[in-house]
Amino acid sequence: MRTRILEAAYACVSRSGMAKTTIEATAREANVSRATVYRYFPGGKDELLAGVVDFEVLRFFGRMTDAVRGSTDLLDVTGASLAFASRALAEHVVLQQVLRSEPQLLVPRINDSTNRLLPIVRQFLAPFVAAEAAAGRLRPGVDPRLAADYVARMALTYANAAGGWDLGDPVQVRALVRLVLGGVVEERHGNQADEADGLR
Amino acid sequence: MVSVDRETERRYRLTVTANRLAPFPRVAAAASQEERILDAALVCIARWGLAKTGLDDVAREAGVSRATVYRAFPGGKDAVVEAVARTELARFFSAVERRLAAADTLEDLLVAGLAEAGTRIASHGALRTLVSFEPEQILPLLAFERMDRVLAVCTAFAAPHLARFLDETTAARVAEWAARVVVSYSSWPSVEVDLTDETSVRRLVRQLFLPALETSGSTP
Repeated sequence: MRTRILEAAYACVSRSGMAKTTIEATAREANVSRATVYRYFPGGKDELLAGVVDFEVLRFFGRMTDAVRGSTDLLDVTGASLAFASRALAEHVVLQQVLRSEPQLLVPRINDSTNRLLPIVRQFLAPFVAAEAAAGRLRPGVDPRLAADYVARMALTYANAAGGWDLGDPVQVRALVRLVLGGVVEERHGNQADEADGLR
Repeated sequence: MVSVDRETERRYRLTVTANRLAPFPRVAAAASQEERILDAALVCIARWGLAKTGLDDVAREAGVSRATVYRAFPGGKDAVVEAVARTELARFFSAVERRLAAADTLEDLLVAGLAEAGTRIASHGALRTLVSFEPEQILPLLAFERMDRVLAVCTAFAAPHLARFLDETTAARVAEWAARVVVSYSSWPSVEVDLTDETSVRRLVRQLFLPALETSGSTP
């Protein structure tokens, strides 16, 4: 039921924005009573909107992990995630629309969601860091926990804004991954490095 | 006599606040009227936030009349707020710049710059109030396309210093990386890295970042 309400609220946001997404409109969209919505979101509209942003952020992250499922190692998965996220965020119609019209309503909530997303990204990356350690590719003295936290943050910041990088260009993605992760894992050689393009 | 006491007390409070916000000696010993108003505005914003800060509050805090505030800032509150933001950014960048210019090695430069920036952000009263209570006033500046602009400004600022040790392309990329590190660890506190602690920052820089530059830093 919670998911159904969130789906409905998301549909409302995509149609008329965050300010106009009320408990009433969401209840109508989900075909449930207002009381039902309040049962799941006792904090009312504010909690509902925070819930929608969380919901979409996690759904986006799920799409990204699906997209990078074939990745073999830390460099590979980071490059692939960045390439996917930067493209998918730019193409995210609802995000771009609300970002233009109601950034003051959306961005603080994305910020809160990011706080909850960070540990999830860290957990997602941890096995890749552990695999590098097991293969002896982690640089000497690197603390795996520090590394996982750092890589998660870097992935999020470059996905949020590409800055001077063109993440649509596999060569640049490779250079970026080398800059950010070159201190974490040993440089690879030959063909393997070419596979780290991250675009497939 | 009473007014002298009040003036003394006011100056004392201003100094305390200024020291808390900027833990380095102010360059100008005697603040001009305009600076006094801006410092007062900063104190008000730290205390009450942006929405609840009125020009009356600023005037009272600065110990001047409302008319004096308007004379200095004919645009009213918006003009004061804009000037506060500009002044604070200038203070921030000049403090970081002093640290960058004084560094003798790439590692020291990165550590000093990150720690100085992180410490100033963490201890900035007005900024903390905004982030906690009026995030809609400040966070949109750090999201998506607008973050690109912030990154461009920070890159243009730090790259020339990094270019003492790195080729031009790498210097720009490292400058941008550093800005991202500051924003990320300042926005979402980490148990692993504390930007206000130079030892912790050095661990990040030395352990995770510098080896990347040593092996492949100058490849395009």
